[in-house]
Amino acid sequence: MTLQSTTPEFKRNARGALADEKLQSALAFAKPGFSTKRAQARAALPEFDDLRDAARDLKDHVLGHLDLYLEAYERRVIESGGHVHWAETAEDARRIVLEICRKAEAKTVNKGKTMISEECGINDFLAENGIAPVETDLGEYIIQLRGEHPSHIIAPAVHVTVEEVREAFRKAHGHLPEGRDLEGLDTLLAEARTVLRKKYFEAEVGITGANMLIAETGQSVIVTNEGNGDLSQSLPKVHVVMASIEKIVPTLEDASTILRVLARSATGQEMSVYTTFSQGPRRAEDPDGPEEYHVVLLDNGRSNMLGTEFQDMLRCIRCGACMNHCPVYNAVGGHAYGWVYPGPMGAVLTPSLIGVEEGGQLPNASTFCGRCEAVCPMRIPLPRMMRSWREREFEKRLTPSATRWGLGLWRFVASRPALYRLGTGIASRALAAMGRGGRIAKLPWAGAGWTDQRDFPAPEPGGTFMSRYRPDADGRPS
Amino acid sequence: MSARERILGRVREAASAPGDRAAAVRARLASAGRQTAPVPALAASVDEARAAQFEAKLAAVDGTLTRLPSLEALPAALAEALRARNLARAIRIGEEPDFAGLDWGGTDVTRGPGRLEEPATLSRAFRGVAETGTLALRSGPENPVTLTFLGETHFVVVRRSELLGGLEELFAAARGAGATPRTLNLVTGPSRSADIGATLQLGAHGPKALHVFLIED
Repeated sequence: MTLQSTTPEFKRNARGALADEKLQSALAFAKPGFSTKRAQARAALPEFDDLRDAARDLKDHVLGHLDLYLEAYERRVIESGGHVHWAETAEDARRIVLEICRKAEAKTVNKGKTMISEECGINDFLAENGIAPVETDLGEYIIQLRGEHPSHIIAPAVHVTVEEVREAFRKAHGHLPEGRDLEGLDTLLAEARTVLRKKYFEAEVGITGANMLIAETGQSVIVTNEGNGDLSQSLPKVHVVMASIEKIVPTLEDASTILRVLARSATGQEMSVYTTFSQGPRRAEDPDGPEEYHVVLLDNGRSNMLGTEFQDMLRCIRCGACMNHCPVYNAVGGHAYGWVYPGPMGAVLTPSLIGVEEGGQLPNASTFCGRCEAVCPMRIPLPRMMRSWREREFEKRLTPSATRWGLGLWRFVASRPALYRLGTGIASRALAAMGRGGRIAKLPWAGAGWTDQRDFPAPEPGGTFMSRYRPDADGRPS
Repeated sequence: MSARERILGRVREAASAPGDRAAAVRARLASAGRQTAPVPALAASVDEARAAQFEAKLAAVDGTLTRLPSLEALPAALAEALRARNLARAIRIGEEPDFAGLDWGGTDVTRGPGRLEEPATLSRAFRGVAETGTLALRSGPENPVTLTFLGETHFVVVRRSELLGGLEELFAAARGAGATPRTLNLVTGPSRSADIGATLQLGAHGPKALHVFLIED
């Protein structure tokens, strides 16, 4: 079992999110920043689109040879004194992590940001087993205090307003004076910094994710801005890396290609503040760093995506550009998606990992505007894969009966051209008659769902395209 | 069958690359050191333009820089920088040989890994990368990795001859520098976070300020 999803409730979640004023104000504040900064970063690097092609080709090469690269990577980790653990499922990963923690007699486990650990539900599991997990990424820390999950893969607390952060800190930091000044954003940051700084020195185990695993060197790479992932892996005596199997890149040069598109696509930075290459445990002469280094390689459904129409999704480097540019994500936020991964990448990945029965709602949460694919640094055809999921959902008869009935009716009409033209002709004349100045303010029945929010464009007078179409004798438009 | 064998078995069955896959992997791994992807013009600076680009990129990520004529000028420049930042005249460093012979004057110098409170730390970068204003540090007794993250103000020394154009040159240098350290840390500006109110602030968990002493040599 992986993290419990509320994905089947997507529609209800989305309605709730749209009505949530705090969420809407947080989303409205964050939204323009990401896309503007990405556009500026892209404009400043003439080679950006060529690098995207190279990054795509590089990852396609890896996926076509993944077994061999995993073996090469594993050899290098072991040679450098590290341990590799293979986890087929989230449950396996939880068991492996718990065993490592027990062996280290851990009471506290510090965590750098890792979506894989969210996928495996590590925090709740450790807590159930008497070990306290402490999220150290500031956003992750805030949502841990609030008992929530991330709503964005790189900005996990993007849905939380400043006032809510203040409330959470007052409640959680009971050892500090009640009447202290928490007005400025800087005072909030300083308080979190001081509280977490102590935690770094207390934890026996530090867990981080990995943006990449390098087959050439056996290094794991984390890319961060705060420095918490580095403190989490340098101060405890055990460092555990949780990574999924597709994170492999062959060489350091290949890593540089990914790095050149990753931060620009994510936050618009040319380079994130900290890019750390970690290999094995501390060396004999080192005064700091962990004494043990473990890598948990998670499959959890990914090997089943290889060789299918969803393989391209495994190129994803988790930059978040697709959700930053998604009109649906920006309207409802990440929690409505109901599982670990939101936005367009989540809409494709979720049904792949937890099944179309559970996650099949998400590929419907798209207008197919195509911005996600347009900005994806790995050129993942997200709309095409969402369409594939819709087809599978339909084939499995998971689509609601009203939708199936409507699609059936449309098919009946569309496959009979005379009937289709008659129908569209009547509809077009009716809509034209309803228009005022080219716009329709109010439509009846299902159309109200559109016109409640905005006007519907009225058709031009003069009939449908087909009724005006006059090909010449050769069938060419005259 | 172990989990490892089952995972690798599924991957092997589905991995669809044509031809001799093992040979392709060997060739790719043997290509380490050669970039097959495009190299941005940003990564191709040379000579004085390289130092200028490094300084400009560093400034763009909120780092600051002082040029020094020689390593011998470091103690006085550090003392002045501490004073200007209203910090106590104390610094935490590693066993870096370049720092060993210096006369630190009245500065209280302690050596070792980072502690809970470190107002100011000093590291010796392995290289600087002009492409993005990035410093590369190798962990070890000379440069305890915790000094890079626990110092509230982090000072870093790098020589002008150690500035490189881009990441390709950095990785070539890393391969040529002998045993791989436990961590190779690429640092591009002081620590930051936008997790509170979607507003960028410096000094999240790591340094609030990053200052580079560039030694002209």
